[in-house]
Amino acid sequence: MYQYTEFDRSFIEERVDHYREQTSRYLNGQLSEDEFLQLRLRNGLYLQRLAPMLRVAIPYGTLSSQQLFALGKVAREYDRGYGHLSTRQNMQFNWPELAEVPDILADMAKVDLHAIQTSGSCIRNVTTDHFAGAAADETIDPRPYCEIIRQWSTNHPEFEWLPRKFKIAVTGAAEDRAAIGVHDVGLRVYRDNKGEVQFDVYAGGGLGRTPVLGALVRSELPIEHLLTYLEALMRVYNRYGRRDNKYKARIKILVRAMGVDGFRAKVDEEWSHSKGGPGTLPEAEISRIEDFFAPPSYSEQLDVTDVLAERRLANPKFSQWLQHNVIEHKAPGYAAVTLSTKATGVPPGDVSDTQIDAVAQWAADYSFSEVRISHEQNFVLPHVPKQQLFELWQKAQAQNLATANARLITDMICCPGGDYCSLANAKSIPVAEALQERFDDYDFQYDLGELNLNISGCMNACGHHHVGHIGILGVDKKGSEFYQISLGGHAGHSELAPSLGQIVGPSIPRAEVCDVIAKILKIYVDLRLEDESFLSCFKRVGIAPFKERIYAPSH
Amino acid sequence: MHHLINKHNDEWQLADQQGSDQQMVEWCDAENWQPGQALKLSVDAELDPQWTQASIIGIDFPALTDGRGLSLAVLLRTRLSYSGDLRGVGAVHEDILHFMVRCGFSSFELPESRDPAVALNCIAPHKQYYQNSVADPLNHFDRV
Repeated sequence: MYQYTEFDRSFIEERVDHYREQTSRYLNGQLSEDEFLQLRLRNGLYLQRLAPMLRVAIPYGTLSSQQLFALGKVAREYDRGYGHLSTRQNMQFNWPELAEVPDILADMAKVDLHAIQTSGSCIRNVTTDHFAGAAADETIDPRPYCEIIRQWSTNHPEFEWLPRKFKIAVTGAAEDRAAIGVHDVGLRVYRDNKGEVQFDVYAGGGLGRTPVLGALVRSELPIEHLLTYLEALMRVYNRYGRRDNKYKARIKILVRAMGVDGFRAKVDEEWSHSKGGPGTLPEAEISRIEDFFAPPSYSEQLDVTDVLAERRLANPKFSQWLQHNVIEHKAPGYAAVTLSTKATGVPPGDVSDTQIDAVAQWAADYSFSEVRISHEQNFVLPHVPKQQLFELWQKAQAQNLATANARLITDMICCPGGDYCSLANAKSIPVAEALQERFDDYDFQYDLGELNLNISGCMNACGHHHVGHIGILGVDKKGSEFYQISLGGHAGHSELAPSLGQIVGPSIPRAEVCDVIAKILKIYVDLRLEDESFLSCFKRVGIAPFKERIYAPSH
Repeated sequence: MHHLINKHNDEWQLADQQGSDQQMVEWCDAENWQPGQALKLSVDAELDPQWTQASIIGIDFPALTDGRGLSLAVLLRTRLSYSGDLRGVGAVHEDILHFMVRCGFSSFELPESRDPAVALNCIAPHKQYYQNSVADPLNHFDRV
């Protein structure tokens, strides 16, 4: 993991002091609501429907055990005993007092955490694969490059007041778990045949009310030019992105207006002046950052294949958990574990202070003190020795964190929705809870296999409904909550280009959502060939049979 | 009227109200400007190499949240190598000054409603930054 230097530490301390001073000017009446809004957003503080919400940055979703303990303390002392894992790998607290936020930030700074640029029209916290450094399908660990981007984008003098928010994601694995195709900038990192680190740069992807997949604007960008190229791209966006209409201000609209070739040419022209200039990364700096992410000191592990097989026979629940929530690791004898927050009856992503503390302790005991937060809103322990899986599973069960549903229908992504968020048109958590209850039969879920169901309470799409195999979007129809269902969305991987979901028909009231989803599942089960997944089946048969049968008059 | 903030002996200061600093600048917009005159640019202006001959350049910020003037300032300093006084005018806000300074501004017209003491107090909230800027060519990694 990256270790803060004296400079990083004093930088975030200065930032806390600065924000404390801004807060007191607001409380003294020297800053208006609108002026303070811009400043607090850039320090992660929203004023929500019920109370403020503080979004803590978890750079690229990676935390130490000590940092997670500190977040548990924030949940206990400043919140109502819980936190929320967000779809951008951050952690949110829903009940802090505005005047106390500088104290929370000061407490977090003691463990090298902050809330810088987790909101506002600026470059947001960079995200990546939650299995980075662990997954067997990884070609290169993306975290060093995320850290380089984190440093470069923090308080960037030129790009703190953009037309709109700006999200960067990086992936280095075959399967794109960072969903780079639906980010303002998506980076695929790999080594060329000489072993040099390079990037393919995608721009203009995004969800929201106009979902678009990013276009390839530069391939084979050498690592030393990463920052000067990004700077040129950001400058083009900062200067020419629309500012007259916030719904048309994201970079995707600019890329579409200029055309991909026009946009690429403009960025290249800009870059021709700065390429090789002061932002060029020296080799020493690249290796300095890469060294922080050297693999942990794995030890030689006993072969526990037989022991695990016996445990599985004796314990079907453990067996299901191993099958769904544990993935192959790069290092022999190790595994990466998903601790699902999606138990029936719990809002997706909500975790109590006790659960947070428990995960922090397990990270220390079983995973080299490292924890990840996934964009599916689960905890991940990236490096667990296989011989300790059973012990970990038993403890996770006791904390209600062992639901064996990773990547299944009840592992749904869900935004906070109308219960908390002032932007939402409709509630999303009650929909998620109703679906969890309806499909609580695990044999049924296991039979369905991999199925991502994503729910957003409004077209800002924080629940990523466009890239759910099944997407549910809350809409407002003359003051009542309705839900639009889409099918076939996918964030993409090396063998399958990302795709956006297609709307299946007219929106429906909340009371009918479960029935319609049940119909969709029934149609899939009827149409699938042998082991065909929902997504493959949809790709084969298209949306027509779903449309026909969902809306067919009942007898 | 406004408060003029500029640098004196390398220190940011509130310019003397009676001194020569406060003489009214007669701004010309880009269309009517001639070399030697004071040039006031809108944030969406496209670069013109002649501008290096301005007596002073002002960039007119339409709103606190509009960052186009920051990129324009960087381009004036780096692309055109403009070395004269570069002044932030319009919606100049105390909490944006530190970004403006790092993008190459050398003076500011702070609206009369703002407190210049507060502005001077938050003009440099950090001792050092991660990335290079017009004000400091070194990145953090160049100092490691």
